[in-house]
Amino acid sequence: MTDQSGVLADVRRGMIPAHIYNDRELFELEKERVFGRSWVFVAHESEIPNPGDYVVRRVLQDSFIVTRDEEGVIRAHFNMCLHRGMQVCRAEMGNASHFRCPYHGWSYRNDGRLVGLPFHGEAYGGEAGFKRKGKRLLSAPNLAAYNGLIFISMDQDAEPLEDFLGDFRFYLDYYTRQSASGIELRGPQRWRVKANWKIGAENFAGDMYHTPHTHASVVEIGLFREPKAAKRKDGCTYWAGSGGGTTYKLPTGDLDERLRYVGYPQEMVDRMKQTLSEDQLRVVGDDGFMISAATIYPNLSFVHNWPKVADTDQVLPFISIRQWQPISEDETEVLSWFAVDAEAPEEFKALSYKAYLMCFGSTGMFEQDDVENWVSLTNTAAGSMARRLLLNSRMGLLEDGTEVVPPLMREQFHGPGVAHVGYGEYGQRALLSHWADHMERPARSAPRVDASMAGCIPVVAARS
Amino acid sequence: MSTIRSALGAHASRVQRTGRTLPFNEERHLIAHQWLVDEAWLLDAQAYEEWLDLLTDDIHYLMPVRVTTALGAGYDTSPGMAHFDEDKYSLSRRVARFLTEHAWTEDPPSRLRHHLSNVRTFAADDPDHLVVESATLLFRNRGDVREGALVSAGREDLLRLTPDGWKLARRTIMADDAVIRMQNLAIFL
Repeated sequence: MTDQSGVLADVRRGMIPAHIYNDRELFELEKERVFGRSWVFVAHESEIPNPGDYVVRRVLQDSFIVTRDEEGVIRAHFNMCLHRGMQVCRAEMGNASHFRCPYHGWSYRNDGRLVGLPFHGEAYGGEAGFKRKGKRLLSAPNLAAYNGLIFISMDQDAEPLEDFLGDFRFYLDYYTRQSASGIELRGPQRWRVKANWKIGAENFAGDMYHTPHTHASVVEIGLFREPKAAKRKDGCTYWAGSGGGTTYKLPTGDLDERLRYVGYPQEMVDRMKQTLSEDQLRVVGDDGFMISAATIYPNLSFVHNWPKVADTDQVLPFISIRQWQPISEDETEVLSWFAVDAEAPEEFKALSYKAYLMCFGSTGMFEQDDVENWVSLTNTAAGSMARRLLLNSRMGLLEDGTEVVPPLMREQFHGPGVAHVGYGEYGQRALLSHWADHMERPARSAPRVDASMAGCIPVVAARS
Repeated sequence: MSTIRSALGAHASRVQRTGRTLPFNEERHLIAHQWLVDEAWLLDAQAYEEWLDLLTDDIHYLMPVRVTTALGAGYDTSPGMAHFDEDKYSLSRRVARFLTEHAWTEDPPSRLRHHLSNVRTFAADDPDHLVVESATLLFRNRGDVREGALVSAGREDLLRLTPDGWKLARRTIMADDAVIRMQNLAIFL
């Protein structure tokens, strides 16, 4: 195996060897060391509201049935029959009390238990040959939820999800807890792009600098009330715990005025005031920053923006949650959901959805130009010249490492972590530093499970 | 197709097809077929301003997200989610964007070919309307590195006779992919 320590050292000082965006050997390491231990998003509880509801989602190539069993417990079963390995569920969503393997007819209840084994007596000699009792589909090694967001970790000994998210939870609440009922998700739209998964994750983690140029067209066609994309530099970027993101600077006003400015009706503002913490409200009301894009390491991103959805001055905010699901070193499946507060008025939900479709997702006018850049970058990163080039990702730092602008003081920004006003690549560097920390540590080898023992490993269920 | 629920289609015309396929030598079929072929040419040429003029002011342009569900589930589109769920305003913004000098995803432009087939025309419950089904296969190629990408879809259109000729009042596009294999849908189908 190639020694990657030089690559990781360059990444840590903000000089990015261009080939990391299209390198098969690094991708193989990412599978083991990044996706083998991180908490990876798979679904939101609102996608499976009723007993028996399920969605099938992947962590890399591993297919999991994420389901709510008859007792309402959320589970994630590895989608592979214990007998010959066939997928027991070949739909991507639905409602089922049981999953029956199409190969030999073994069937499992939606809580994972093996309940049907044709000719058990004749073929195996009954329990004496194969103990059906207590057998179940393999559980995801680790499963947990925060604000309804369900994550899987492939590491049985992963740190608790809340510790992994750390202080980023403060920012996650803006996207996922605007009322006590939380959000509901629609989608995802799914499409494949010939781009490396890290590029989107980095972009959402802190790239305010691309907005005025990449997205010039969206401003030119009058989709925003603010006519100058260069205003983006008045916002701040932040990094806290396992994630970071960008904000917009809001015009002067109090909390209510600022939330209404981005298009929230007063009744939603009132609910946010009950649900969010004092400091969360101060970031908006006192500090004047509104969250926009963000990424949780490794590959889950968020976006919040407020375009016009009709030929009036009214703007409507929307939220999207998106995952950069790696297919290979040069291909990513994007899963893009629309999210909205479950208690929002129906008319708001409809118009917020319209705002989402116009801006992000498979047809979104922002996303179209982003992906064009990322595909082109990935193409060019495959060759030998890309192995000679170190990309400069040091924005916000002088050559000696001092910061161009000091971090915001506590009284200027009431959120946790470190925040800086203006353009910088603090978030991208923090994300890739996490990546480097994982890439240099071999993953523990996972315990093997033999089918005659399946069910003996601890069964993990998400707290909901 | 008319059973697909859209979150934003409340304004859409409710006119529906009646009866069987019109004969291929019947004038109304010929009109509808030519309309679609002429439209495909405009979409290939990315002549989007002219294309926008062919849409009625109450256009509803819908492309649901397809999902893989078990046989008998009763649905094969994602509830409440689409790729396109458009009215005239949102389509006009998309077209306006392509006319700026900063729509990078189409600069340089893609090479596009909308292959059109399986055209079937139906009378509607209003004499000034026709319902037309068709299949479209879009080939899109960009640059010189990547192979081209395809989107295959069935469409149901509602055409309306207006003082300015026949216009598109409603379109439902049923892609045959659950996971779109194209970098974006910066195109129209």
